[in-house]
Amino acid sequence: MSEMITVTIDGIECTCEKGEYIYDVAKRNGIFIPVLCRHDAFPDHRACCRICIVEVEQRGRTKVVTSCVYPIDGECEIRTNSERIQEERAVLFALLGHRAPEAEVLDDMSASLDMSGFKRLISVDNEKCILCGLCVQACNALGTGAISTVQRGTDKKVDTPYDKPSEFCVGCLSCANVCPTGAIEYSQTDATRTIWNREFELVRCAECGEVMGTPESIRHAVGAEGDAPTVCDSCRKKRLADEMMHTYRYV
Amino acid sequence: MINGTENILVCCGTGCIANGALGVADAIEAELAARGLSDDVQVKVTRTGCSGECEQGPIVRFMPRDLMYYRVKDRDAKAIVDSLDGEPVKKLLFKKDGQTYEHMDDNPFYALQHKVVLRDVGIIDPLNIDEYIARGGYEGLKKALQMTPDEIITEVEKSGLRGKGGAGFPTGRKWRTAAGYDVFPKYIVCNGDEGDPGAFMDGSTMEGSPHAVIEGMIIGALAIGAEEGVLYIRDEYALARDHIQHAIDDAYAAGILGESIMGTDHKLDLSIVRGGGAFVCGESTALMASIEGRVGEPRAKYIRSVQRGLFDHPTVLNNVESLASIPTILREGGEKYAEVGTEKSKGTKVFAMVGKVKHTGLVEVPMGTTLRTLIYDIGGGIIDDRPFKAIQTGGPSGGCIPEELLDLPVDFDTLVEYGAMMGSGGMIVMDDRSCMVEVARYYVDFLCEESCGKCTPCREGLRQMRAILTDICEGRGKPGDIELLERIGRTMQDASLCALGRTAPNPVMTTIKFFRDEYEAHIDRRECPAGVCADLTQFAIDASACTGCGMCSRACPAGAISGERKEAHVIDPAKCIACGSCREACRFNAVLTERRPS
Ligand SMILES: Cc1cc2nc3c(=O)[nH]c(=O)nc-3n(C[C@H](O)[C@H](O)[C@H](O)COP(=O)(O)O)c2cc1C
Ligand code: SF4
Ligand code: SF4
Ligand code: SF4
Ligand code: SF4
Ligand code: FES
Ligand code: FES
Repeated sequence: MSEMITVTIDGIECTCEKGEYIYDVAKRNGIFIPVLCRHDAFPDHRACCRICIVEVEQRGRTKVVTSCVYPIDGECEIRTNSERIQEERAVLFALLGHRAPEAEVLDDMSASLDMSGFKRLISVDNEKCILCGLCVQACNALGTGAISTVQRGTDKKVDTPYDKPSEFCVGCLSCANVCPTGAIEYSQTDATRTIWNREFELVRCAECGEVMGTPESIRHAVGAEGDAPTVCDSCRKKRLADEMMHTYRYV
Repeated sequence: MINGTENILVCCGTGCIANGALGVADAIEAELAARGLSDDVQVKVTRTGCSGECEQGPIVRFMPRDLMYYRVKDRDAKAIVDSLDGEPVKKLLFKKDGQTYEHMDDNPFYALQHKVVLRDVGIIDPLNIDEYIARGGYEGLKKALQMTPDEIITEVEKSGLRGKGGAGFPTGRKWRTAAGYDVFPKYIVCNGDEGDPGAFMDGSTMEGSPHAVIEGMIIGALAIGAEEGVLYIRDEYALARDHIQHAIDDAYAAGILGESIMGTDHKLDLSIVRGGGAFVCGESTALMASIEGRVGEPRAKYIRSVQRGLFDHPTVLNNVESLASIPTILREGGEKYAEVGTEKSKGTKVFAMVGKVKHTGLVEVPMGTTLRTLIYDIGGGIIDDRPFKAIQTGGPSGGCIPEELLDLPVDFDTLVEYGAMMGSGGMIVMDDRSCMVEVARYYVDFLCEESCGKCTPCREGLRQMRAILTDICEGRGKPGDIELLERIGRTMQDASLCALGRTAPNPVMTTIKFFRDEYEAHIDRRECPAGVCADLTQFAIDASACTGCGMCSRACPAGAISGERKEAHVIDPAKCIACGSCREACRFNAVLTERRPS
């Protein structure tokens, strides 16, 4: 078992293993730190939104760190809501809010902060994406790797390679579902789904008619050799149950 | 040899080639051949690399008698060859305050310098390994091969060498930590990305003395136990890359690299990786991502590269100049190196001085040399003896330092206390015709494209800073803008993911700190005191000072200036685009600027 350390977070004593991230320890102790680019589904965090900043005081020195990736390495005092953190977090929310004025979630998250003094900032029209990168992480985690962040500096954005419909996209919607601001648009008709400029057919369940996904996403899920299902998960479970009932009846 | 001259060196660094050095070399060679002297005196059309005073180039030097000629043209070849056994050619000698200087070391540009990294630059042919060896090259390595890793590191620790890529981390300590991990393979990486605008220290070192960098890497590899190394070289540096590759090939052929270093059972392979083409790629984690074939984006890491770097293995990343200092430290001992410099910053530092200074170029001075010495004694002062206004040090991460701080010693720690930094060594000297708001805007604009754009404070902070600074420069500044810039800047400094974003506000913060009145003039009075911001400035010619020489009208791109020869000229305000070319061109200070009425 690795070394145990006691730290204080906002005055509360917390025990943790050496190397645990501040965010995780705080959460376990009921202390809330806002996050945007961190998601439990992924082991690595991009640490790019910087909203989760906290102050760490250790050996007489105070520094600002991102709690989602900062490993606790010794006794220290952590403040998640000091004046300095509130001020800098407000600036970060203001910067994101003007980058993505359509991202409503930011208003809710910053409601408790003093957001005055930012009227002067310029806004990017009609933008919703805050560049948290979760969509890219989701797509990479699936092994599809259809989207990535492209360009750099202030021109950075999420896109398919060369802004063309991606041959790797399977139309699974994982990216759109994980997006905290609803920035990834897709549309659906009875028979088709369009995302990232590519149109997919839709496969419906042979029994109940619910959308099961696209042929590509179903194929991707079962692998090249696997048998693609023709009924949806819930129908398949129901069918199994029926079959079992059937079997038992003759026992 | 004729009268003490064995060789005629022609500097063929990038700057001198641009000024026609290759033609000069050909002309001298032809002249010697025509007189049948080719056997007595060899012209070294050696790509000797930058000898440091580019703006005075092409530079020709008689060796070993050490006679230096400046601004040489093809047609000077005859006079130069005549001077082999005659009087020096007066008009080609260095002149200052009515005095001429024959020898390089008399010239104040060189006299105050102390060369360690640049000791061979401009003197040896970088493509000839024997010339490097003849001047003590690979002696340091020979010594290192007889030492234990611990002894090598101790020598480097004694030298007090600190990383010259900007952060100033003690090199010995970095090596010791890396040596302490028993995870193999380990890597040694040379950072030759040099992306700051105006900097050319590392490029010139790689061009002019590639073996010094390689020798430094081999010694580092021995110290930490690495058998593989990479030189990451800025994409635009084609010449540096060629010279390094040539030197690597020669070192393999000479048994200095490869399976058996100088006959021992130590081995090392070196290869070159071309840079990713953005300033951010010089940052350590972005650089390693780029070498691994991923996008050059920094990673949030609270674990250092010496423990987990390239391919998650222990890695030492050192700057070109740091590595090129190593051979001398091993050859002459760490204590000798530490004899110059300040208490906490030992040894020397190379600077690339450009801008409004009389002698631009590459200089290497002891740490702790004051800015005043650099600008006035070595740089010869401000062009046209105009008033000095500021010196920008450290590129986009650095700051602007005003007149009252010119007596500060330049080292790793002092400038930081004033919100600037020495940085990797770029220095831009500015006179009273530089607008400090515009300077800040320039760097912010540069970083808007050269940051990776991954994290919020840097990407969005720069976007907003650029918008506000552009507004100020164009007359749309608002009360409260200065405070808002500072507010964004502080958050960027604290909360950015990598050092690019954390230092990006420095040009803005230092210009606000030292030139706040200039910001206020723009915002409160719509006035650019330096007469630079086009929307706030109008130009006029002072009829009493104008001699009617016509320089201004020739320089004007808009055809806005008219006047008869020898009579006062006038500017047509309707045509003038406020570019400032006429003011630069006029030698009589007759072009005036004033606030443009709104
Ligand atoms: C944005 C950014 C750009 C950098 N560019 C360079 C560079 O071009 N060359 C360099 O040697 N170091 C550069 N550095 C510093 C490196 O990250 C690193 O500290 C250095 O290469 C370590 O070598 P040293 O200890 O020998 O200085 C840069 C740092 C940042 C944050
Ligand atoms: S819909 Fe396409 S881009 Fe989005 S996660 Fe699925 S495969 Fe990736
Ligand atoms: S599209 Fe959504 S998930 Fe993807 S980076 Fe933008 S905000 Fe994040
Ligand atoms: S600070 Fe700038 S360069 Fe560094 S990770 Fe953030 S966006 Fe990229
Ligand atoms: S400022 Fe430029 S455009 Fe105007 S008169 Fe002078 S040179 Fe011509
Ligand atoms: S949640 Fe930690 S940086 Fe985004
Ligand atoms: S290139 Fe010749 S002196 Fe710089």
